[in-house]
Amino acid sequence: MPTVPLFLHTVCRWIRRFTLLWITLLPTSGVLANDDAIAAIDWTLAETLVALDAPPAGVAQVDAYHAWVGEPELPDDVVDLGLRTQPNLERLSELDPSRILISPMFAGLTPKLSRIAEVETLDFYNGERELWDQLVALTHRLGDMVDQEAEADALIERTETRLERQRQTLSSTDDRPLLMIQLMDERHARVFGDHSLLQAVTDRLELENAWQGTTNAWGFSLVGLEDLMGIEARLVVIKPLPVGVKARLADSGLWQQLPSVKRDDVIWLDPVWTFGALPSAQRFADLLTEALEDADRA
Amino acid sequence: MLDIPYRLTPPRLCLIFSLFALGLAGLALQHASPLSTGLEALFAPDAGNATQLVLHYGWWPRLTIALLAGAGLGLAGVLMQQVLRNPLAAPTTLGVASGANLGLMVATLMAPWLFDFGREWVALAGGGLAMGLVFLLSWRRGLAPMVVVLAGLVVNLYAGALGMALLLFHQETLKGLLIWGAGSLSQSGWDGVGFLWPRLVVGAVLAAIMLRPLAILDLDDANARSLGVSLKSVRLAGLGLGVFLTACVVSVVGVIGFIGLAAPAIVRLSGARRLSQRLVWAPLLGALLLASTDLLLQRFSGALPTLIPTGATTAALGAPLLLWLIPRLGLHGGNPVSGQHAIMRRHPAPERLAMVLSGVLVLAAIMALMTGQGADGWQWLGPSQWSTLEWRLPRLLAAAGSGIMLAVAGTLIQRLTANPMASPEVLGISGGTAIALIGAMYFLPGASHLTMIGIGTLGALAVLGLLVLLNHRSGFLPERLLLTGVAVTALFDALRAIVLAGGDPRGQQVIAWLSGSTYYVDLTTAVIVAAGALLAALAARPFARWLDILPLGTPTARGLGIHIGQARLLLLGLVALLTACATLVVGPLSFVGLLAPHMARLMGFARGRSQLMGAALVGAVLMTIADWLGRQLLYPEELPAGLVASLVGGAYFMWGLRRL
Repeated sequence: MPTVPLFLHTVCRWIRRFTLLWITLLPTSGVLANDDAIAAIDWTLAETLVALDAPPAGVAQVDAYHAWVGEPELPDDVVDLGLRTQPNLERLSELDPSRILISPMFAGLTPKLSRIAEVETLDFYNGERELWDQLVALTHRLGDMVDQEAEADALIERTETRLERQRQTLSSTDDRPLLMIQLMDERHARVFGDHSLLQAVTDRLELENAWQGTTNAWGFSLVGLEDLMGIEARLVVIKPLPVGVKARLADSGLWQQLPSVKRDDVIWLDPVWTFGALPSAQRFADLLTEALEDADRA
Repeated sequence: MLDIPYRLTPPRLCLIFSLFALGLAGLALQHASPLSTGLEALFAPDAGNATQLVLHYGWWPRLTIALLAGAGLGLAGVLMQQVLRNPLAAPTTLGVASGANLGLMVATLMAPWLFDFGREWVALAGGGLAMGLVFLLSWRRGLAPMVVVLAGLVVNLYAGALGMALLLFHQETLKGLLIWGAGSLSQSGWDGVGFLWPRLVVGAVLAAIMLRPLAILDLDDANARSLGVSLKSVRLAGLGLGVFLTACVVSVVGVIGFIGLAAPAIVRLSGARRLSQRLVWAPLLGALLLASTDLLLQRFSGALPTLIPTGATTAALGAPLLLWLIPRLGLHGGNPVSGQHAIMRRHPAPERLAMVLSGVLVLAAIMALMTGQGADGWQWLGPSQWSTLEWRLPRLLAAAGSGIMLAVAGTLIQRLTANPMASPEVLGISGGTAIALIGAMYFLPGASHLTMIGIGTLGALAVLGLLVLLNHRSGFLPERLLLTGVAVTALFDALRAIVLAGGDPRGQQVIAWLSGSTYYVDLTTAVIVAAGALLAALAARPFARWLDILPLGTPTARGLGIHIGQARLLLLGLVALLTACATLVVGPLSFVGLLAPHMARLMGFARGRSQLMGAALVGAVLMTIADWLGRQLLYPEELPAGLVASLVGGAYFMWGLRRL
């Protein structure tokens, strides 16, 4: 509808004026303006804020966050803002945060959200720069934003030292390349490669990723199991497994013939948020190191 | 009939496709290893050779399952088109696929232990339940084709809407099912083949046994009855078999689009008139079509970082094929439709009914504006909280406005085509808009609202252009128009399935928008939509006379002095405009456009003019209540209005069907 009749403009203007009148004349109710409250629509931003000891006041889909991101946990008093794709505007305006943080994926929400508070779009996973550098830059930026610069430096420092220590302990173990996958069903898997959080971690641990194929901007490629067949590597399967898949894998001829399954050296890792930032990276590194060491001892 | 010098008879067609498939298969084997080793891998693979293992456990079962699934769907398609006497009928028409899909989703989320019995059985149970519901709804009318198709359509929409809602909240958990929903033929062993082939053999034998009674359905109801055949039991058996076959295929490989519609249609077009011929050639052609597509796909999609599911691709490739076929279809506007008009009762005073509906609309609007949940639970807005209206008013206006637009568009298109399956969505205009907007979401991230509106309008116009281009020669014959729409909608469905199956996190945004939400509307847009809707409702009124006459058929209308081509073009343009506007606001799931005109008729708005008015009011009420309910039911999470509308409207619709 490119051309708008003039009278419609007038109608709109009047309705808006009345709305503005109500807003200015009548005392705003409920919660007082929260000067330092931050609402995070994106989970990756939320987990970083928690790690910076400046947890957001509101996060979208809190239950699902705990199911899929897990750690670091959100504080109990965090306000659930509803869906990530469509955060509840009435709830957000009640919360009255000073800033709303989103990732470019949700950029379509900016016009709506910016009427409640200043919207900051933080870019990561754009596939242009080395992912680790992007995540470090993201952590610095968030640290600046919530006046936790020192905490941000410490988080980066802590993560990098720890990964360095893990690299040294792992250098003595088996150096077979790894094939990191997440099963979608018994025939399909996401395999993680370039631009993925998982590879960013294995790069720092100086472990080799066996997947050399192309990946999308989030660092994975959706493949059928047959595409994994010819790759000589140790499988790392990130849980959770979809329901029923464990049983069906036992009957799957192709799965049983995968080199790693035949050798019975598949590593099953507890759930990790594969699109996360430094906290998720640390969690993945811990789980992987522990599993590799266990396997090595056995 | 195909009007080409060398007539393509069904055997010739099948020969061409089998040569094509054989060539592709040979190339693929050659590529992997010497041809002899490739054949050897079929029976005795070398356990130490990765290539042979992939061939044995992946490639060969995949080829086999493609042939089996294609044949099953082709057979099911013939059965359903025969029983329902509708060239648009496909194995998925009766809600089997969406029922199976919903069954799998619900089981995954709520009763994962069910998967211990095997996924096939969960899918079969879901598909069976959906089909049972369809039969239940149409039982009292003796399973009359029109009623079955309608019931199937609404059960489809209902299951689809519920599935969308689950997906919106549990995308992470259900991501694997998205691949299934897009129909991936990828195999990892022979168990799928082992499940499917005995069932297909049973189905084929049963179809052969039922050949004679089924052939009688070519006659109209009265003639068939005079031959002493129980139409109800023949239809039940025919449909039951078709559904069983579909459910078996769907439960193993997922939703495969288009084969079940295309194979029987192509076979019929190329000259297989008799049912026995079609029963032989359609499964064969279906098998070859699916296998060729799959082989082509395997050859060309290797380098992509995502998987292109075959089921969705057949739909995408089938769409242009159908578009090419449409001008060549020997359709004529006079096939016997069971008395849809006779069963509708007429309200003595539609004006009074309209007044009541308007009252309901006002009440609904007040409720939507003033009540709702906040941080402290339910509340009625006091004067101090009126600032909240800033969020509620645009949504109310947009919901009601788009409801009116879709209802008017739906009424026009159903009257225009005399086909109760018609809706703005079926015409493909929503689909065109949606294709353009999905493209914009992916290729122009963060584009402004205005850009999106422009792109969406372009999409709608492109489809409208296509509709006009393909149909102006035939004078906008309703059946052709609908088929064009079906093709575009299939293309859109395919695109959506491919996009979602890839698992790109941006898919969430697509799902949210596709479910039809008023969330993104700002006040200016909302006022424009509401005003535009009122203008459109008024603009449609002068056409009321056409709407009463056009459903009576071409000769009658011409006899009454109506310039048919012009009238259809004009109404079509109005429908396109209304649909495009509404789609841009609330997404393409315009179930309201289908339901509102029907609900208006069920209430007794029988004449064209009163149906327009009634449908507009019903549409507005439906969308207003749906938007409010959507915001409250799962607070603070929001269900899109389009989704709730289809759930509320669908329930009412089923109740009305049962009462017929």
